[in-house]
Amino acid sequence: MSGQTSYKADLSTYLKRRSFLLSVGLITGGIFLNGCLSKIKSKYNIKGSLNGPNAKAGHILRDKVKLPEATVFRKVKILIVGSGISGLSAARWLQKNGEKDFEVLELENHPGGNSHYGTNKTSSYPVGAHYITVANNDDDLLIDFLKEINVITHFENNIPYYNDYFLTFEPEERLLINGEWQDGLIPDFGVPEEDKHQIKEFLAFVNKLKNTKGNDGKFLFNIPISSSSTDKIYRELDKITFKKYLEEKGYTSKYLLWYLNYACKDDYGQKLDKISAWAGLHYFASRRGNAANAEQNAILTWPEGNGWIMKQLAGKLKEHIKTSTLCYNINLMENGNILATVYNPDTNITENIEAEKIILSSPQFINNRLLKNLQRLIDYSTFSYSPWLIANITINELPQSKGRALCWDNVAYNTASVGYVNSAQQHLKISEDKKVITYYLPLCDFEPTVARLAAYSRNYEQWLDIVIPELEVIHPEITQAIENIDFWVWGHGMIAPTKNFIWSENLEKARAPIENKIFFAHSDLSGISIFEEAFHQGIKAAKQILDGGK
Amino acid sequence: MNKKLPALLLISVFVVATCGLIYELIAGTLASYLLGDSVTQFSTIIGVYLFSMGIGSWISKYFEKNILSWFIQIEILVGLVGGFSSTVLFLVFESIASFRIVLYGFVSLTGILVGLEIPLLMRILKDRYEFKDLVSKVFTFDYIGALLASLIFPLLLIPHLGLVKTAYMFGMLNVAVALIVCVSFKKEIRASKYLQSTSILSIIILLIGFVYADKITSFSESQTYSDTIIYSKSTPYQRIILTKKNKVLRLFLNGNLQFSSDDEYRYHEALVHPGLQALPYAKHVLVMGGGDGLAVREILKYPNIDSITLVDLDKGMTGLFQSNKMLLDINKNALLSKKVKVINADAFSWIKAQHKKFDFIVIDFPDPSNYAVGKLYTNSFYKLVKGILSPRGLMVVQSTSPYVAPKSFWTVNKTLESVGLKTIPYHNYVPSFGEWGYIIATEPENPYKKPQNYIPGLKFVSKESVDLMLFFPKDMAKVETEVNKLNNQILVKYFEDEWANVL
Ligand SMILES: Cc1cc2nc3c(=O)[nH]c(=O)nc-3n(C[C@H](O)[C@H](O)[C@H](O)COP(=O)(O)OP(=O)(O)OC[C@H]3O[C@@H](n4cnc5c(N)ncnc54)[C@H](O)[C@@H]3O)c2cc1C
Repeated sequence: MSGQTSYKADLSTYLKRRSFLLSVGLITGGIFLNGCLSKIKSKYNIKGSLNGPNAKAGHILRDKVKLPEATVFRKVKILIVGSGISGLSAARWLQKNGEKDFEVLELENHPGGNSHYGTNKTSSYPVGAHYITVANNDDDLLIDFLKEINVITHFENNIPYYNDYFLTFEPEERLLINGEWQDGLIPDFGVPEEDKHQIKEFLAFVNKLKNTKGNDGKFLFNIPISSSSTDKIYRELDKITFKKYLEEKGYTSKYLLWYLNYACKDDYGQKLDKISAWAGLHYFASRRGNAANAEQNAILTWPEGNGWIMKQLAGKLKEHIKTSTLCYNINLMENGNILATVYNPDTNITENIEAEKIILSSPQFINNRLLKNLQRLIDYSTFSYSPWLIANITINELPQSKGRALCWDNVAYNTASVGYVNSAQQHLKISEDKKVITYYLPLCDFEPTVARLAAYSRNYEQWLDIVIPELEVIHPEITQAIENIDFWVWGHGMIAPTKNFIWSENLEKARAPIENKIFFAHSDLSGISIFEEAFHQGIKAAKQILDGGK
Repeated sequence: MNKKLPALLLISVFVVATCGLIYELIAGTLASYLLGDSVTQFSTIIGVYLFSMGIGSWISKYFEKNILSWFIQIEILVGLVGGFSSTVLFLVFESIASFRIVLYGFVSLTGILVGLEIPLLMRILKDRYEFKDLVSKVFTFDYIGALLASLIFPLLLIPHLGLVKTAYMFGMLNVAVALIVCVSFKKEIRASKYLQSTSILSIIILLIGFVYADKITSFSESQTYSDTIIYSKSTPYQRIILTKKNKVLRLFLNGNLQFSSDDEYRYHEALVHPGLQALPYAKHVLVMGGGDGLAVREILKYPNIDSITLVDLDKGMTGLFQSNKMLLDINKNALLSKKVKVINADAFSWIKAQHKKFDFIVIDFPDPSNYAVGKLYTNSFYKLVKGILSPRGLMVVQSTSPYVAPKSFWTVNKTLESVGLKTIPYHNYVPSFGEWGYIIATEPENPYKKPQNYIPGLKFVSKESVDLMLFFPKDMAKVETEVNKLNNQILVKYFEDEWANVL
């Protein structure tokens, strides 16, 4: 019996693999050929760069390059791998609790991970994470931190008062729909009454969910995710896709479905049919933060996006962060300590570092490599990461268009991207001739693995060919006004909360420390990729160490 | 029979058709430029034009003799009327009431003349060529001409030549057709010499118009301003235009009236004196906006003032008011005074970096008509102003019209109060602007004390007039509003709504 099934399974995985390879081959081959052609003559006279996370490091980690022998040996009490928000948050917590002997290793030449940012002559701009929302009022750890960095300036009747310069300035959001820019992102302009009715119904429904608690007294959907109710009936929602769920509930309005699809793309980098219903609802039903001086869930942003928060964190940890330092391998030593092999691609020096504890705030697809000599019984293949393309566009002046003026967030109905944000929104200047807009394109038309390889093989001109036509649809004649475009490709941008992921046993196992020595903190362990999750993952790991198994 | 004739005549048909459509397009475009609402303008113009063409072809049957010479005369007339059309329309635009009459008069006249052309031409040709062939050829060229016109007009003519030059150019082409026909048929026409010289003269006149077209358009910009434009300049921030009529100077920024020299004293006295007269100990003054130096002129009337800092975005503006003789006469050389320091900077960024305190602060920004300027009316901005206001000091804010825009006015008041200031709203009548509002704000511990006397030499402000200014009749009474913040910019929305009803 087992023979047969396993044969079948083998065959089907074999076939899947073949069709996968075929599609990858076709797509990347096509892109490559097309690239040769577009090299010959580019349609657009636009210049700029094509960047992304350090590709060389990726090569090394995939064992494609042999490292030189280690020439340095040293000891550090606690090591943290990765200086994304989760790693920095862990480091902050250690520091806050009096720990001095720790190091944060970062393979890039800058800290920040997905909250990295760029700067040019015109402005700073995000290349990844760009906003947070007002904290849920029960999230004491986050509120303390926001107070620490003056995002919350004071409290009025115990309600946080947020820094006026960080709350998104008006005008905040607009949607290009039926030929005109309307106020807000929920489709309204030219939308038939029945559709409006369904939209209203859905919003009322999630609003009710938002304020509902389970039998255990916890909110059904909360941030961090781990503080959500454990009630079974809701967790069951993790086992079906959001698409299926909406079908079952009878939501059919194309405008509503567009909006929900947009939301999934925006927060998870995937469409309705990939995301679990639990995650889809979480987007709408988990944020209930109140502010003394803004409406519920108000958005906080900075020209450099979450890069600003990241700088606040990293600024106090300067002596502890080692950039251009790639963690390559982790082993357990006989004395019970950990031996981390790290490599600096700039100096070409390999070091061995002995540590008592280590926090891996690197994503699990990397940890899979780092821990290859250790037993960690989890299925890494369930971790699926959405690839993204970010285009930072320096522009002289946006062409005039009908309806609402330029906002912070600008989205167009039925387009591949999730729109663009204006990084000059929080500038105080009255007059600005140029600005940088940051355009976000989730690469979700193919399986992430295929889309990722395709993304890696595209050249600058090919990205122009993808991005410019959509920009021209949104703003006819915009091309002439573009001064520069810098592309950034995130191959493994965001963890995708696919069905059976967030509340799976596998993810629970992945969160568990190994032998009270190796701890895990990356936001992919939450199943959704947002600042708050990374922040809490970091603190959780640091606490586990400080509590020392007590 | 002359072999060249058919080609030449058919080219004439072609030119005539093109010109006809171009005049129609010019009239439509001009009307939508000047009157707005392009759809209505274009449809009515096209309607009138087509109708007039009908009249034209109907009239054509009354022409019986000398058709050739009639045709030539009509061509000359069309050329002159069409050629001068846009110039005349530009010039008469200022007197709106009659503008429509002139416009439609022009459109009908050109329509009738153009309507005459083709039927007459057909009749000229019908005895010379086979009829079937003639009809098909004439209509083909007529339509090709029309197509050409509708393509080149938006793509080439408007962007490269502009309306005025385009009209002259096609006027000349029209007359050229007259000339060609005249020369070709000279044996058949009686007064051919006379018609020839008339055509040549007309072409010369039109050519002069074409060459001087640029002068005409800037002349007509000045017509839009009703008074003579004596200065105009585009700075990186705005278009400054200064006009003069009799002795009155007016300053426009982006087309909006900033002041009129005959009544600006009412505005600037009201802005400065009720506040500053209450601060006998004031030494250091800050003026934000007000690059014309007129508020500064009023402030300089107080000998106790040691220093005035003027922060204005636009160097073009302050520079003009530091150098132009006529303007120096108005602001009494205020910006050249040793006590005055002019800083060209963006007010929000500038004030964020300020620590020095001021006793009297005048905030004289443009109205909050867009989100950029709206930032300068927010609680965040007023908090910063409060931070540099000396404890016993006082600030005053120009706050748009409490009569036209009560919600906007009382929003400024509410926003000032929200940062912990005590406010004194007041208003007066400035003929060029209408009823205008200002708000004084102080620290609550040092409330405003109404001055009992004012410095001598004021034309408007006195103890009695200030008492009146402090009173708000029912039609300007306080309304409840929200606080204007960076993250709601509620004021810009109110302002748009309220002024939309007026403009
Ligand atoms: C396009 C995009 C837009 C986003 N927008 C938002 C947003 O608007 N708001 C929001 O809240 N969230 C957003 N996010 C989610 C964002 O991922 C999280 O907010 C947060 O930054 C994740 O932090 P992290 O520490 O979990 O992971 P990461 O940022 O992935 O950090 C991991 C770090 O580890 C380093 N690293 C990995 N392997 C090694 C190794 N072997 N050795 C050394 N260093 C290593 C990496 O270089 C990286 O710096 C966005 C993400 C993307 C991709």
